[in-house]
Amino acid sequence: MRVRVLFFGATAALVERRDIETTIDSSDSPADILKRFTAMYPELGSLRLLIAVNEEYVTEDSELRDGDEVAIFTAVSGG
Amino acid sequence: MDFVELTTDPIDITGVARRVIPPECGATVTLDGYVRKFTKGRETLHLFYEAYEPMALKEMQKLIDQAKGEFEIANIGIVHRLGKLEIGETSVVISVAAPHRKAAFAACEWLIRELKRTVPIWKKEVYADGEEWVEGEAVVPTAG
Repeated sequence: MRVRVLFFGATAALVERRDIETTIDSSDSPADILKRFTAMYPELGSLRLLIAVNEEYVTEDSELRDGDEVAIFTAVSGG
Repeated sequence: MDFVELTTDPIDITGVARRVIPPECGATVTLDGYVRKFTKGRETLHLFYEAYEPMALKEMQKLIDQAKGEFEIANIGIVHRLGKLEIGETSVVISVAAPHRKAAFAACEWLIRELKRTVPIWKKEVYADGEEWVEGEAVVPTAG
């Protein structure tokens, strides 16, 4: 199935992309997506990352569905 | 009226404060958060804010809903600026109107603390000798 992976701030700077469409297995969780990107961009592993699916915070082991929007970003720093 | 907004334009602080006022209230507490020149001894030239906009607006609205459940307050307005900000420019305004000031102060403090923890907005500090995205506090928002 296909998901759209979004990056912001520090993660977007590391990956040099904001938006990547990718194919995953139906059993894949956000943790699996993280692993894949951390393999390509090892510096991601040194950041404290949060994950949101379809604009809601989730834990790394949550289920994904076809067409989901998975955002990967560092602890927020607004204000 | 409650409202949440993200804008790349300068924020009209008084305008935000006036928009939250209903007739049954007696006090509005407004936080004007702005860009500081020195952070941990390092001089900032300017800041750049970025948001996951649709999620940020949802999270801001959630904070309003929670605050209204916990504090004796009437209306809340939250406006956060995005893009490039110079020193002294306002990055965030939170206005809380309440029948009595005590609840408005408490809710405003709670709102800025939670906003800094949960709303997906990030700032990049631009220094004379480089720039860096600021990582927030370690607290991870609870899922759901």
